[in-house]
Amino acid sequence: MARREPAADTTWRASVESLQAGAIDAVLIAILLAMGELLVVAFSGRRGPTGLLLGAEQILDLLSYGRWLGAGIALAALWALGARWLGASPGQALVRGVPEGERDLAWTETLRGWFAAVFIELTFFAGWLITELDLVAFLTKFGKAADIVRGLAQPSTSVLHEGLILLVQTVFLAFMATAFAIPIAFVLAFPSARNLTRGSTLARLAYTVSRTLMNFVRAVEPLVWALIFISWVGIGPFAGVLALWVHSVASLTKLYSEQIESIDTGPMDAITATGASTLQVLRYGVVPQVIPPFLSFTIYRWDINVRMSTIIGFVGGGGIGYILKPRVDLGEWGEVGTLVLLIAATVWLMDLISAKIRERIV
Amino acid sequence: MSAAAAPAAAATPVVRIEGLGMVYPGGVRALAGIDLEVHEGEFLAVLGLSGSGKSTLLRCINRLVDPSEGRVWIFDREVTRLRGGELRRLRRQVAMIFQQFNLVRRHTVLDNVLSGSLGRSRLLPSLVMSFPPAERARALESLARVGLADRAGSRADALSGGQQQRVAVARALMQEPRLILADEPVASLDPALRHSVMRHIEALNRDEGLTVICSLHDIDLVERYATRLVALRDGRLVWQGLPSEFDRATFRSIYGEDAEPASNTGF
Ligand SMILES: Nc1ncnc2c1ncn2[C@@H]1O[C@H](COP(=O)(O)OP(=O)(O)O)[C@@H](O)[C@H]1O
Ligand SMILES: [Mg+2]
Repeated sequence: MARREPAADTTWRASVESLQAGAIDAVLIAILLAMGELLVVAFSGRRGPTGLLLGAEQILDLLSYGRWLGAGIALAALWALGARWLGASPGQALVRGVPEGERDLAWTETLRGWFAAVFIELTFFAGWLITELDLVAFLTKFGKAADIVRGLAQPSTSVLHEGLILLVQTVFLAFMATAFAIPIAFVLAFPSARNLTRGSTLARLAYTVSRTLMNFVRAVEPLVWALIFISWVGIGPFAGVLALWVHSVASLTKLYSEQIESIDTGPMDAITATGASTLQVLRYGVVPQVIPPFLSFTIYRWDINVRMSTIIGFVGGGGIGYILKPRVDLGEWGEVGTLVLLIAATVWLMDLISAKIRERIV
Repeated sequence: MSAAAAPAAAATPVVRIEGLGMVYPGGVRALAGIDLEVHEGEFLAVLGLSGSGKSTLLRCINRLVDPSEGRVWIFDREVTRLRGGELRRLRRQVAMIFQQFNLVRRHTVLDNVLSGSLGRSRLLPSLVMSFPPAERARALESLARVGLADRAGSRADALSGGQQQRVAVARALMQEPRLILADEPVASLDPALRHSVMRHIEALNRDEGLTVICSLHDIDLVERYATRLVALRDGRLVWQGLPSEFDRATFRSIYGEDAEPASNTGF
């Protein structure tokens, strides 16, 4: 049983929360100030070295980030000190929730509300400038793109045979990546489930390690994994299998473990009460409940992997994407059209089949 | 049988509880200062409003929850000190029946009964659900005892609530326990079916001489099946006595001044 010292515990938590709230406020205020400066610079009519108006990167380069961060920290500290009169700051509201007395106030009645309104407003203006939105180009320069659309609409049959063969490769590539991911994700799912890892310090450690590792692996895009494996095992479908495999292990582990976290603990209790060992409790109390959703997730994952392997092919990971890239570069839009249609048909078919199977299982 | 065992049993209680207290993480106090002895062959009913701590008390006995204070002995072994393999060996002798049956729904009825033998099974075969013929025969026999031999191959969730609870009784029997903990075993069943399950638990107590600790809601059932009763209120033991000593005043002291018995039988 965990017995905590209540007093020490609450003061410790309170100070951690104030620090978090303060940091959030400082960053938000600094961003708001920087976005303000960005508008000022953009509309100052200044010109860059080429004589043209400043581009987005040049504007961003001119902003005084350090100064705004300093100002943000100072203003956040002021807001924290004056919270009694100014109302809760955005950071405090996020970390601790909106205080009792302010819940019924409209946004126009709190400083935090005005802050949020101005912040959202400025985000739109700044975003417009930074991403160089160009409505004129969008509406008037369709001409060249029209060639591509025309090509897609008139697929050429010259690439059909090769396309079909690589399509088969794509589907199997996705299948192998998924199949290899299943056993590893299955084993990792148990230490990654919160409800099974409360028992001991070792179990909690296993939870933290596997969760952190999987979150990291999942955060890296399959495209990046593909680049890593291409330089490891060389260009070709095997690199694609490895890239999708790594990503699938991480994402299946997450899906599986979330499923384990939502089981009915009753059967676990019943099996524990018979004097069964931990493995037996998992086998009888957990596994039967999670098998159908596991199957369903796995088929869905295969489906996703087919889609992803197209893009992976673009960088050399095998499959149909591999022959799509050069044709896009050369502007052979008829052949691109054929390949795109093949991919679309496969994805649509996989979607249909996987939905039907999953319907049956659950 | 229980009559024959009584003189010897008087010396060593099956369960002895001293100063038991439980505070759940988050600070809810569920039990405080419970002292209790349960003797061989008894059918002890535990009464109390919902939230009074009945489930927690039963779960502290087989350590499905770890009590925060006090000590529990079963057959003279201090459960509150046991760890790992020792605790599992002790649990084999203590079967539990739950309000929600807690069967493995996707397994067959027979496999559910067989899971009662997990504590004494070899690990690897049990993980692929392979059990020795002798255990299978025993499981079928247990099923026959609760009148469900013909449903052995059905999936557990295809059975009605009353049938599922009888499978749970067969699983408990399969465990060959010396003590049965039953946590409101009939509370989620249709009133008309309650006796069909209680009768089987009673049979284990009367014919096998097993000690039973059973939390119950219904006063009628208590009077019919229990040999002794204890009552909890807000996690404290507020009354113990024989079913014949239980009257309207006691009822009020347990359930509060405004409470009325659900039916008039017995008073
Ligand atoms: N797992 C748990 N976590 C926190 N509190 C719990 C938990 N289980 C029970 N409690 C609380 O402990 C008290 C006693 O519950 P319980 O033993 O289930 O009573 P009963 O079985 O008599 O209804 C209740 O206040 C309940 O809310
Ligand atoms: Mg209960």
